[in-house]
Amino acid sequence: MEQQQKKESKQSEKPQYIRAYAAMVLSRTLDKKIVSAQRQGRVGFYTPTMGQEALQVGVSMALEKEDLVYGYYRDVPMMLHRGVPIETIINQIMGNSADTAKGRQMPSHYTSKALHFMSVQSPVASNLPLAAGAAYALKYRQKKNVVVTTFGDGATSTPDFHAGMNLAAVFKLPLVFVCENNGWAISLPVERQTPVEISLKASAYGMPGVKADGMNFVEMYKVARAAIQDARAGKGPTLIDALSYRMGPHSTSDDPTKYRKDDVKEGSEKDPLVIGEKLLISMDYADDKLLEKIRNEAVKTVDERFDACEKIPPPDPITAFQDVYKNMTWMLEEEVKDIL
Amino acid sequence: MTSKTMNMVQALNSGLDNLMAADDRIILLGEDIGTDGGVFRVTDGLLAKYGAERVLDTPLVEVGIVGMAIGMAVQGLRPIPEIQFQDFIYTAMDQIINQMAKIRYRSGGEYECPMVLRTPYGAGVKGGLYHSQSGESYFAHTAGLTVVTPSSPYDAKGLLISASKGEDPVIFLEPKRLYRAGKQEVPEDIYKIPIGKAELVQSGDDVTIITYGAMVPTVMDTVKKNNLNADVLDLRTLVPVDKDAIMLSVQKTGRVVIVHEAPRTGGFGGEISAMITERGIDFLYAPILRVTGPDSPIPYRMEEYYVPNERRILNAVRKVLESA
Ligand SMILES: Cc1ncc(C[n+]2csc(CCOP(=O)(O)OP(=O)(O)O)c2C)c(N)n1
Ligand SMILES: [Mg+2]
Repeated sequence: MEQQQKKESKQSEKPQYIRAYAAMVLSRTLDKKIVSAQRQGRVGFYTPTMGQEALQVGVSMALEKEDLVYGYYRDVPMMLHRGVPIETIINQIMGNSADTAKGRQMPSHYTSKALHFMSVQSPVASNLPLAAGAAYALKYRQKKNVVVTTFGDGATSTPDFHAGMNLAAVFKLPLVFVCENNGWAISLPVERQTPVEISLKASAYGMPGVKADGMNFVEMYKVARAAIQDARAGKGPTLIDALSYRMGPHSTSDDPTKYRKDDVKEGSEKDPLVIGEKLLISMDYADDKLLEKIRNEAVKTVDERFDACEKIPPPDPITAFQDVYKNMTWMLEEEVKDIL
Repeated sequence: MTSKTMNMVQALNSGLDNLMAADDRIILLGEDIGTDGGVFRVTDGLLAKYGAERVLDTPLVEVGIVGMAIGMAVQGLRPIPEIQFQDFIYTAMDQIINQMAKIRYRSGGEYECPMVLRTPYGAGVKGGLYHSQSGESYFAHTAGLTVVTPSSPYDAKGLLISASKGEDPVIFLEPKRLYRAGKQEVPEDIYKIPIGKAELVQSGDDVTIITYGAMVPTVMDTVKKNNLNADVLDLRTLVPVDKDAIMLSVQKTGRVVIVHEAPRTGGFGGEISAMITERGIDFLYAPILRVTGPDSPIPYRMEEYYVPNERRILNAVRKVLESA
């Protein structure tokens, strides 16, 4: 009986885990492509996500289709895992006419209403109170869905973090806070951001706070699944401190050699992708050949899609002035006439 | 006094260095200003030189940075906090409007808040909605704040030093598009450029063009390229604005164009225009025209359509010149 169950769970688990790994690889491949394109002047700016793939994919694995994500500028792995087309990411980076937000936002500020990924703002942590409002709306409508909100370790210093956490706890909202604790807020190490472990902050709001190994997607999945189940069951919010590492610079404008020695190298045993590969092999879900195939496919996909997206023309200039209000004001109409 | 060619970043850095060397009450605080030297490098090297007690790498909390600086100022220090991008200063607006600006007034003049809040502002670096805004009007609208914005390396340093030696809080808006746009001879020692005084960048008889910050070079290029016989006034201080310089020029030309990058509605141009008509409608031969950013957020890819350019400035100048 038990044997049978284990076998069944293994049968559904295997493709799930392989898919998770594939999303991580796709994200990493895209990440590197964008960074190198930026160096060649083909992309204006980018915030790499390298090192945060496992934690994001782990969270995404625990989500249902209609759950909402109020994320931030480093959430490409999660978006790809949720099924956001890779073109959505690339077109946003390019700011071309196929971009959902019509080239208005700086790169790394994605939107996908279709896959319930709220459009990203730059000001750190201001998505948290919004996530509380979104969770309230779900609860009010008696939906069985939850909201996940993501943010960095730096975000925990802001008033919006406090506001979001407190509101979620007071109203017992179906909301999971995922701190993508990559150890750095630009040049500030997390120890200088806050003298306590981030998971401990949860107790001040009366919600559970858990630490998770964000470099291990299976571990992360299990922690996220428990928190999301609680939220779905009406037990209120949880804070997850997803311990990870920002393997790249803060952004393509940042020079980390000014403030740190790079201590997690790509391909090293701390790399979340390497950890993922070892897990899959140890579980007998994959062999080197399969992993190799996944990696090769990712390179092919990224190269093809990137080149195709790059050919898409820029948006029509008029679109830069639309969507300020539902209808354009007379002031803006007058100004646009002068400009175009 | 020895001088050196500097861009605006270097000039500001030199000004901060002079101030810190001369006065141990000067404290710098902000995000990434220490080890990293600031994301624009304005505070580069100052941590090494003055130590972590005087150059504070703070946690990510603008409202805390500003509030803490106010507390320092009230207790006799002379803080110069940095907000990494002006767009993020909005999370500190309560401290700025309800504390910083009102300390002197609400304490019957017993307490004061001498400090300089530095922040890069404006478009032109492909920063999109949240790394490009020009919010000078929000500050100009708050009594108790002095609002300063330089347009050259030389002015940046001189104004920063004056701002830091004043008795009231100053919002010091650094046009980031000009940070590395050009170099100039800048004295290595302390010097001051007075707050509240505009600069007549070039003098002419036909029209007065009033501008400030990053638009100054654009206006000057337009004037030179098209041989305009214009007075060009760089306000340098928005509050208190140099009414005398403005009125003197308006009396001479009778025609005014105001150029700024911030959106038109509620923009500082409206204030100047009202001031001129209140004091001197009889001098005017033509309606005052504004060339500004549009009433929309600042787009990433289409940014060049947002910032006022030569064509738009020239159109406005021609229009006021054609008016009878
Ligand atoms: C309110 C606010 N202040 C400052 C910034 C500039 N800034 C952008 S990202 C960042 C660091 C964020 O660190 P963290 O929250 O740890 O996220 P990470 O970038 O490490 O993923 C800073 C200071 C900002 N975007 N918003
Ligand atoms: Mg971080």
